[in-house]
Amino acid sequence: MAINIPELRQKFSNPGIAELDLIARYASLPEDERRGRMFDAFAETGLPGRRVEGWRWTDVEAAAARLDGTVAPVVVPALSQPHDATVFALSPTELETPEQLPDGILVHRRDVVPALAEAENIPMAALAGSLCQYKDNAASIVIEITAPLSAPVYVNWVGQSADTNFSRLAIVVRSGASLDLVESYCGGASLSSTLVELKLEDNADVRRSLFHAGDAHEIMTATALVELAANARFVQTILSLGSLLSRFETRIGHTGTGSNATLNAAYLCGADRHCDITTFVRHGAPSCVTRQMTKGAVLAGGRGVFQGKFLVPRTIGQFTDADMQHQALLLEKGAEVFAKPELEIYADDVECAHGNTSGALDDEQLFYMRQRGIPLSRARALLTEAFVSEALASASPAVRDALHDTAREFLSEMHG
Amino acid sequence: MADDLRVKDSIDKDTVAAAKALESDNYEAGFSTDIETEFAPQGLSPDTVRFISSKKEEPEWLLEWRLKAYERWLTMEEPDWAMVQYDPVKYQDIHYYAAPKAGAKYDSIDDVPEEILETYKKLGIPLREAEVLLGVEGAAETAAAARETPRVAVDAVFDSVSVATTFREELKQAGVIFMSISEAVHEHPELVKKYLGSVVPQSDNFFATLNSAVFSDGTFVYVPPGVRCPMELSTYFRMNAENTGQFERTLIVADKGAYVSYLEGCTAPMRDENQLHAAVVELVALDDAEIKYSTVQNWWPGDENGKGGIYNFVTKRGDCRGVRSKISWTQVETGSAVTWKYPSCVLRGDDSVGEFYSIAVTNGRQMADTGTKMIHLGQRTRSRIISKGISAGRSDNTYRGLVSIHGKAEQARNFTQCDSLLIGGDCGAHTVPYVENRCADAQLEHEATTTKLSEDQLFYVRQRGIGEEEAVALLVNGFVRDVLQHLPMEFAVEAQSLLKVSLEGSVG
Repeated sequence: MAINIPELRQKFSNPGIAELDLIARYASLPEDERRGRMFDAFAETGLPGRRVEGWRWTDVEAAAARLDGTVAPVVVPALSQPHDATVFALSPTELETPEQLPDGILVHRRDVVPALAEAENIPMAALAGSLCQYKDNAASIVIEITAPLSAPVYVNWVGQSADTNFSRLAIVVRSGASLDLVESYCGGASLSSTLVELKLEDNADVRRSLFHAGDAHEIMTATALVELAANARFVQTILSLGSLLSRFETRIGHTGTGSNATLNAAYLCGADRHCDITTFVRHGAPSCVTRQMTKGAVLAGGRGVFQGKFLVPRTIGQFTDADMQHQALLLEKGAEVFAKPELEIYADDVECAHGNTSGALDDEQLFYMRQRGIPLSRARALLTEAFVSEALASASPAVRDALHDTAREFLSEMHG
Repeated sequence: MADDLRVKDSIDKDTVAAAKALESDNYEAGFSTDIETEFAPQGLSPDTVRFISSKKEEPEWLLEWRLKAYERWLTMEEPDWAMVQYDPVKYQDIHYYAAPKAGAKYDSIDDVPEEILETYKKLGIPLREAEVLLGVEGAAETAAAARETPRVAVDAVFDSVSVATTFREELKQAGVIFMSISEAVHEHPELVKKYLGSVVPQSDNFFATLNSAVFSDGTFVYVPPGVRCPMELSTYFRMNAENTGQFERTLIVADKGAYVSYLEGCTAPMRDENQLHAAVVELVALDDAEIKYSTVQNWWPGDENGKGGIYNFVTKRGDCRGVRSKISWTQVETGSAVTWKYPSCVLRGDDSVGEFYSIAVTNGRQMADTGTKMIHLGQRTRSRIISKGISAGRSDNTYRGLVSIHGKAEQARNFTQCDSLLIGGDCGAHTVPYVENRCADAQLEHEATTTKLSEDQLFYVRQRGIGEEEAVALLVNGFVRDVLQHLPMEFAVEAQSLLKVSLEGSVG
């Protein structure tokens, strides 16, 4: 039975042009029950906008209407890779894998569309899940890590100048295995939504470093769903320079006792750039630890968004130790920073702290540096660099310097 | 709270005892007064609105205003974003007006039915001025204390009508207008017309719009330019009749350079059904004016199983319209089955100041979603938010707040601190702060570290031999206690016990 487009349209309330394109795209794919459920979940909100609570400051609907479809976003080079790294390139149609995979890495292509739990809470991820389709009938790709790896693994997400990019990738890190994962979001598509499902088994160890620098013609959302089993360790570091609209959404589930997550991010927003760092952490097992530090610096015409939430369920969340910090600098008039550091706690023997500050650079510090003969613009750049670099310290050693250099370059250009 | 309740060792024992003392078993205001009552017909329709308006012999413009709100309300949906769950309100089952049959307003305090006077006396609110002057038992033990105890003028609202307003003559001499809003509509229509709905517009939100259509009584205060109101003003709201809702409307205007401190208290009998309280409070502070608004909210919270209790859906907003004006909200929230309340400040005037101090304690099955909004529009505007939530039993306590700095609010400042404490493992404590900063040289801190708070002050206090923890408590909590201690005795029963509260062992 073919998919009925008018019927599909009715599931959306007042679909816009972008949404009609998505409906047509969905209708062209092989019919599948799970795919259908994900698309229905997306249809509940459509491209999410101001009226959807989690998207009030990141209005995809409005941005899509503003998008000039005639200009393709540029493809940004991926972070450079050391010779021993394993590099995957993920396009809307295929995962390019090296000819020889090192021991401990397996790649599986499957023709079954995987289900997506809580799809209705993550409309853009539901969209990625429902529209992802690789060539040769592969509906999903799983990278399996079975041993501690000696060299980093790079995944480069490339849009290939297509209109849209909807990709989904699962990574399973087996018990006791470790992974140093570097992801570059290279742009190239006007509208992209990517979904990474990361599963860490007992005692697994993953360091994930992400980089994105898009242009004013790109809307991108990157969702990661991370599950941490007992004593698993997960460290994530993001450097985002934003795009017309960009959002990194990370949802962590602590499902085993004693798991540990570090979620750090830095965003640097120039004019016409929008960076959104959104996280949701469910402390679904006792004695889990979360440390979160997000730093931002925004220039005139840019907008930084931070939304963090810790959920500590009754009983199972006891002895949670969690800390969330967001600090932002508004470097010029016309910069905007919106934040919502949220706690939802149902267990009494826990420590959950959150802090949020935003403001200008400290005049006294600037004065001190100028007194020492450092010009104002240089002093501002230096102070800002020092401010954001704290959040980048947890990045993979393979790219830490590159991320710092990118931040420095951004700041020197802006203040030069 | 069961006697064998186990709490975290780090939680202060006095705090647990203070929360326990607020359980519904100990609710002392739960009696009802047997008095003949006149009701509006059940349900809400344009006729109900006309009935209320005609009862109050209102001018045509106000009836029109109410009907417009009613029409608007029909098109609105009840908000569902707060972290509270409750049985749907049956808006057509409520009596929107209930008043003692003997009449709404009494010429002299001697005409007020004895049952009503007794009711207020029992609640600790004497309405006879002579009694007030003599001082309440225990309020003034020494002559010095009596001199220092400020007198309080009270507007007593019983169900839908104001039954007595004390010290009116004395206030009049100072130029202060203090009367029920129904009277103000007749006596000072120009002021009411000018300010009513100017802070909380008719169509502001579902509950405020409902209130605009059916508001019954409430207090009107106008303090003329340069006048410091000679005594504390207060309104005591008492819900008595069954199957009614209370929809009061309070409007306080402090003209240039004026100062007023206003207190509000509220209680209701224990009943099995839920009753709706949807009030609107509007404050206007002109140039250099200051309004201090304190609330001790002790509506019947329902029994420990969540049966009965008041739905407290209130819109409170202050407009710092003038330069250097200041509005300060202090609330002690212990009652209500469900609370949905966000006293806010619109900081329009340059250099204006908004403050919000809140202690919210929930027990049993209570659900409170409360907080504040600070909207910074003017330059160098400052706001401070201190919120302490304590959850016990099976209750849920949410702080929800917005700090919004607009593009022209140069050098605006905000400091927010919200602590929550859970007593026992069956309750919930939540924090939902929204922070919007559109101004580069504004400075916003939420739950900043103690050193950031003020290293100099901390150093000064520690230098004097006070330990670090105590020093921080002094600096952060000091002014909250200070504010609470200034509540007059009659209102401070609940507040006083909360002074013992410590947020040690708080979760976040």
